[in-house]
Amino acid sequence: MSLNYLTSSVVLHTALTASAKFVLGQKPAEHDSFGDRVLPRELSDFLARLRLLEGVPFTYLVPDAELMPLESIRFFYIDRAWTDAIVQGALSVGTISTADHTQLETVYPAVRQELDEAERSVRVKGHETAPQGPARTITGFLLRSRAVSGWPGMHVRAYREELGVADDAQIPETDPRRLKMLRLERLAPAVLLALFDGVPAVVHVEEPRQGIQFGFRPPDPPDPDPNHHVGLVPPRKISDGTEVFGPTQDDHWVRVAFRSGAPGVVNLRTTRNRLQAVNQTGMGPTVDSAEFAIQMLRYPYRQVFGDPDQQQGPPPAIGAVFQPKVGMAALKDLFLRGQGQ
Amino acid sequence: MPAPGFFNLYPAVVPGITAGNYKLRLTEDVQFKKGGETGTGNVEAYEPRLRVTSARYHMPPDQILSTFPPANAEGAFGARLPQVVLKRRTLPWERVPGPPLAGHTEREPWLALVVLAEGEAKLSTEVEIAECVTPGKTLTGPADVPRGLYLEVTDSIVKKVFPSREDLPLLVHVREVDKSDTELALGDDDGWMAVVMANRFPQPSVTQTEGGSVTSPTRYLACLINLEQQLDALPPADPDVDDFFIAADKVFDYRGQYLATFGPPEPDTYAMSASRFGRPVNPLTGLAMTDAEAEAAGLTITSRVTDAQLTAKVEPLSATWQVAAAAGSLARAKTGLGEEPYIAVRDAMSAGWRFPIDAIARLETRYRFPVLAHWSFTTTDGATFEELMLGLDVGLLGTLPAEEDVPEGAPPPPPRPRPLPEVTETGHVGLDHLIRRGDRTAAWYRGPLSPHVTERDTAREDGSFPVAHASDHLRRVTPDGREDLSYAAAFEIGRLLALSQPSVVAAQLRWRAEQYGAERAKRLASGAFGDVLGGIADHVHARDLGRFLGGRLVDELAVRPGDLLGPRRPVVDPGRPIADLGTGQLDTVLARGLGLDLARIREQAAQVGVVGAVAAHPLPVANLDQGPVLSGAHLNQLRLAAELDVGRAAALAVSGVAAETARQPDALDDLLGDLS
Repeated sequence: MSLNYLTSSVVLHTALTASAKFVLGQKPAEHDSFGDRVLPRELSDFLARLRLLEGVPFTYLVPDAELMPLESIRFFYIDRAWTDAIVQGALSVGTISTADHTQLETVYPAVRQELDEAERSVRVKGHETAPQGPARTITGFLLRSRAVSGWPGMHVRAYREELGVADDAQIPETDPRRLKMLRLERLAPAVLLALFDGVPAVVHVEEPRQGIQFGFRPPDPPDPDPNHHVGLVPPRKISDGTEVFGPTQDDHWVRVAFRSGAPGVVNLRTTRNRLQAVNQTGMGPTVDSAEFAIQMLRYPYRQVFGDPDQQQGPPPAIGAVFQPKVGMAALKDLFLRGQGQ
Repeated sequence: MPAPGFFNLYPAVVPGITAGNYKLRLTEDVQFKKGGETGTGNVEAYEPRLRVTSARYHMPPDQILSTFPPANAEGAFGARLPQVVLKRRTLPWERVPGPPLAGHTEREPWLALVVLAEGEAKLSTEVEIAECVTPGKTLTGPADVPRGLYLEVTDSIVKKVFPSREDLPLLVHVREVDKSDTELALGDDDGWMAVVMANRFPQPSVTQTEGGSVTSPTRYLACLINLEQQLDALPPADPDVDDFFIAADKVFDYRGQYLATFGPPEPDTYAMSASRFGRPVNPLTGLAMTDAEAEAAGLTITSRVTDAQLTAKVEPLSATWQVAAAAGSLARAKTGLGEEPYIAVRDAMSAGWRFPIDAIARLETRYRFPVLAHWSFTTTDGATFEELMLGLDVGLLGTLPAEEDVPEGAPPPPPRPRPLPEVTETGHVGLDHLIRRGDRTAAWYRGPLSPHVTERDTAREDGSFPVAHASDHLRRVTPDGREDLSYAAAFEIGRLLALSQPSVVAAQLRWRAEQYGAERAKRLASGAFGDVLGGIADHVHARDLGRFLGGRLVDELAVRPGDLLGPRRPVVDPGRPIADLGTGQLDTVLARGLGLDLARIREQAAQVGVVGAVAAHPLPVANLDQGPVLSGAHLNQLRLAAELDVGRAAALAVSGVAAETARQPDALDDLLGDLS
């Protein structure tokens, strides 16, 4: 056995062994290094939020109010070049010398890749995992409506393909076709911004479910006298809550009885007797409160946006859109004439 | 338990016993037999008292899971029944409201949700619970709170808007949901909840004018009331049946009538509240009522402070407080003394129901119902969610509002206040542009929201991307000669947003400094180790490597000190073996050790004794002055022997280290050794 004491070769050997172990998977603690990342967490958070347009003034999003008329919804794609430009603008802070420029250009590909992933984890709740992989197209919509101010907390869901079920079908929250919501925020009391990670085929906007609600439906077509209010209730089977006569309004729907002289006050006894007269509901000789509640249920309304027939063509070429008004030819002409005089 | 997204409904969950005081009586009969003798023992009865509690005058906030419409909401609720969802499923049946209706056996709920428009009833401020029921009625049994609210309402209003007694059970049911379904369970712990519905669709008020009817938003107050002992007040089953209702019908507006009688309120006088002087305050004017007014309002002034008393009582606040409190509930509403801010806010919210109804409806029968919970909301005329959604103008961003169709012969529509913007198919919008030189021109702009998929910069061949800097401009010239400022604007707003947050600026500067430092350390490491570490340095952050190597080196030294630092020196050196110690004579050993001639000493000792012989014996003394005693071949021999010893010692030490890990001989080894 050789006796090698603390010599330079021993130190180097130990160092190399340790380095090999380090490269093979032993990493230093997370808190004092960036790990694999180039950007520190605080910066990537800020830049990812910037990419999702947080803090960007509304006039930068919609430059003219006529683009967002009252009671309208406007769908859009996010212009990745625009969001790259805003990130570059933010990164230009403190980039002073040419050396800074060179350094920024060197790290920028890594920064861009990291932000592609970070922007998806901004709105990740505790139990979810952010989707990985290269960044996809971000789409979304702006909704300007009284529905935004009057029904806070409405549900917005987007699916990447047609669901193939009825528009009012129940779809589990964890449906794999559901697109991840990147941002859902009220920018103004009546303006809602939603961003999706991907291109949706169907978007659902649903009335907030503040518990289960009870009520009637107005007749369709409405009563010609605006002061003359009639309420209709579709009789439901008490076993499963399905409408006896189908979901569309017809003559079999039961009219709600009202107490005379008091607008809106229900005459429950008469209404109950009328509901009881409908045979197919499965209610017994007496109607109890649970059976009555099933008849009065009103499900939250869901608006479905999407049309399988509508195909998005390729974007038009820029030259086909901008009608030349003072093109180069005109400028040249002007210039030459001006020189000739 | 129902599946998520589904729920079961039950008509009632009636508890075994209702709220109240109970006495449990436990008796025991003991019979004994001893020999042929039998007898009975006498055991004292066990009589514990217990109280079953339940809400009575106040609903604990945790029992209310949700209300619809939400408190202070504004919207078109005209086709929805207000409701409140209670956490404990048995709550509506935990009290007996009164004797059952003839021909009915089921327990009636003691709770009802009534919905009242502004001016239809009066909601009190906090009073003693004894005042919370109609005068003449008393609710026996324990109360949950000392003070509560009540709703004072006239008989005619009750007849018009309260549910009839037969309706009551229909309005309360129990719902069972999957408690993991967050949307339906509302945070409930067991998935069972009681639902109390109202019987009135809250309508916006409609006023008929010559030009047609005008609909105005109306505030409603939803009150969860206690019906104990007062079921008789409810209207009888109504025979009048309408298939429709007229929205312009009025129930009754006592408040409007009060205002018309006593005039509009004067807000300035609130601060100069007179209630502390012991007089009832007109809640609309904030002024102390005159005697005549008070009489007109049907009030009896319970405590009249004379001027003499006033001077005595003005000073200490507590004294004034007592005076004000004595002046009755009406006066307390505006005293401003001891009122918590939230009470003031709550009062403001229910202002439409805070008026002296007794001043107007003097001749009518009035009832008081304890209010367990209340909230207000506003019903507007307007589209429902469904109508709004169906009426939306749908399009990609950049779609302009459609021109209105003008029928032939109709007057042309009024001109737009401003012209429609110039929008291209790509989503660019033409905007006015004030350039740096001060010229006014036009430019194109498109925000981040585009009606089409856009191209994103792709990497160059070497993997890098074009990165814009503050000195670049991202303007583009479009074929029509105007500039496209979209990306320039994006760059600039990004720059401004970053600059607006000092923490972001600091983070960037720190990031740069650390990256430079790391790069420098990397270069240094590769220079020092050259090719050896070059491969590793590519995989490792050089900044971390140096520190990491140092740490690992110390680790390795600690784990294998024998290899790297040399063998460990034993704590105690073994003694040199002494020959003949066990067998030889002691004097032989001593004599050899001291260099004495034993035979000669023995010989002389026979003559002069041992001491004399040793004293006479010459001691061998080395003469140090004459240099090394040993030299030549003798010395070489010694040196050889010494080297052998050192080598042996070293080998011993090394084998000692190895032996640390070697197996110690055990009992089996001993046995084998004995056998062989």
